[in-house]
Amino acid sequence: MKSIQGRLSVGLISVLVVVGVAVAQLSLWLFEMGLQRYLEAGLRNESENLVVALVRGPDGLQLDDRRISPAYERPFSGHYFRIDFADAHWRSRSLWDQEFPQPDAVGLHSDLTLGPEGQWLLVLRADYKRLGQALSISVAQDYTPVRDSFQRLQRIGLGMGLAALVLILVLQRLTVKRALRPLERAREQIAQLQQGQRSQLDTQVPVELEPLVAQVNHLLAHTEDSLRRSRHALGNLGHALKTPMAVLFSLVAGERLAGQPALAKALREQLEQIEQRLGRELNRARLAGDALPGELFDCAQELPGLLATLRMIHGEELHISTHQPPGLKLPWDREDLLEVLGNLLDNACKWADSDVRLTLTRRDLGYLIEVDDDGPGIPEPRREAVLNRGARLDEQVSGHGLGLGIVRDIVDAWGGTLELLASPLGGLRVRIGLPPRATDINR
Amino acid sequence: MRLLLVEDNVPLADELAAGLKAQGYAVDWLADGRDAVYQGSVEPYDLIILDLGLPGLPGLDVLAQWRAGGVAVPVLVLTARGSWAERIVGLKAGADDYLSKPFHPEELHLRVQGLLRRARGVANQPTLQAAGLHLDESRQCVRQADTDVQLTAAEFRLLRYFMLHPGQILSKGHLAEHLYDGETERDSNVLEVHVNHLRRKLGRAVIETRRGQGYLFGAGAA
Repeated sequence: MKSIQGRLSVGLISVLVVVGVAVAQLSLWLFEMGLQRYLEAGLRNESENLVVALVRGPDGLQLDDRRISPAYERPFSGHYFRIDFADAHWRSRSLWDQEFPQPDAVGLHSDLTLGPEGQWLLVLRADYKRLGQALSISVAQDYTPVRDSFQRLQRIGLGMGLAALVLILVLQRLTVKRALRPLERAREQIAQLQQGQRSQLDTQVPVELEPLVAQVNHLLAHTEDSLRRSRHALGNLGHALKTPMAVLFSLVAGERLAGQPALAKALREQLEQIEQRLGRELNRARLAGDALPGELFDCAQELPGLLATLRMIHGEELHISTHQPPGLKLPWDREDLLEVLGNLLDNACKWADSDVRLTLTRRDLGYLIEVDDDGPGIPEPRREAVLNRGARLDEQVSGHGLGLGIVRDIVDAWGGTLELLASPLGGLRVRIGLPPRATDINR
Repeated sequence: MRLLLVEDNVPLADELAAGLKAQGYAVDWLADGRDAVYQGSVEPYDLIILDLGLPGLPGLDVLAQWRAGGVAVPVLVLTARGSWAERIVGLKAGADDYLSKPFHPEELHLRVQGLLRRARGVANQPTLQAAGLHLDESRQCVRQADTDVQLTAAEFRLLRYFMLHPGQILSKGHLAEHLYDGETERDSNVLEVHVNHLRRKLGRAVIETRRGQGYLFGAGAA
């Protein structure tokens, strides 16, 4: 996308250049025309003087030297004339050895050059009748100084025009920047929105932006509201389905089916499949809320509650420790992250002998979550199978499969990686690598 | 052991109550949150199983009111909302354990058993041990000096209560309150009969009679 600033600059420059050049050229041309009219009057005067200076001499017509300007005598003085008769022509002495052609038509001409210095001439041809003879007088004046000064004027004008253009551009840039500052502020606020630092845009904006900001705020409120409602609806659905399933589990395990072990087993397997599917799909549907500005996960605030919960479930004798940089805030939804950490730690607690360790580290490219236990671990050939099938390898300790499946769905949604490794504590290490987020306040 | 089950889904409550009774627990059942607040704070329950989605008053509020009123009975929360965020909220409100639906009935029985032992400060081992006896709660029999002794349901219930309270004097009234649900008629003669049966099977020294006070289990070993 081109920036507004760029478009404004290009538009302004082209308008200024076109209009400025046209106006400057036009005014120069008008001025030159006026000047030429003035000089033409002088030239006409000169040619009339020459007509008057033509007198009848001993051998026909001759010029009375006393009556013509001395400038016509000095070579290349800048003032020249030529008088054409029917059969001959006279030239002024100032022309020296140069030929001064007669213009084709009566009137003012400005396209002649003359002499070694390349003088530009302004020539006026006028036709007369004097003493019974038709004659044509062409008077010329050196136009070079005028032309030179015009060119100088043009250059100065061009320089000034360029300087003005630069000045205007700088001022325009400043003005536009000032005028666009509210937009820039809105952009920053939207970035903050993505980081979860705010939930609404500031409504103190110029009139032009008001509808936009109001619309964004409205959309935010609407999205948040519908997400909350759909999460609520999902929870209700889950509740509605899970209670009857608990009844079914109880019935399957009860006395009434004790005489039909094969039937009971089949029913139980199907129920377990439904349970797994239900858990994962509910979790996946919940994950759709990722796009929303959510609360950040403040480790110092959230981890103690999670650890207390785990200690309560698994007993105080289990030693659960956490290691994280002080003040670490993870830029993901609180509920999702609790689900990941809760499931991983819960699994680790189920398998551990006495020690479970959670390590959170910030890397150059994202974050690393490691959960270690000192339990039996999973031998390397079987790790792949555990990850891929989300299978329960040991039916006695339930949930290893389902928990990991949910964790994997969440990590996949975040674009992260999930690995099973050998832990330095002796058991299993689950390592989750999370990429950085585009808007991450820790960076 | 007397439990309060608070669950509004009737089929599930029927199933759970039947299963728990088969495990030798006396079970009272309530479906409404407001009733639960009252009954939980006046009756001497050993454990409460509380569903969170209740009519009348939400389960978390029921729990908070019990804890605010000083009810220290262990509470096992049942809920369909099994996310960790909700689990943390539940435990912060004062729950002692958390079981998300759907669950296997054995899972519930193990949790109840574990919670009862934990509340008594007994380590969670496969069998309940006290005064040289090993009680296997799943098979409802007791092992004394390498011989298995079979028990009737009533004897099992009584012995389990004694073994969870070793070295404590338990009056007949106290025992009746904790061994029978609210609807059973309490006859202290029946208790005496069961105590005598236990003495006959396990030896006289196991349960002492303190005249005017009650029974004392495991005094010789302690």
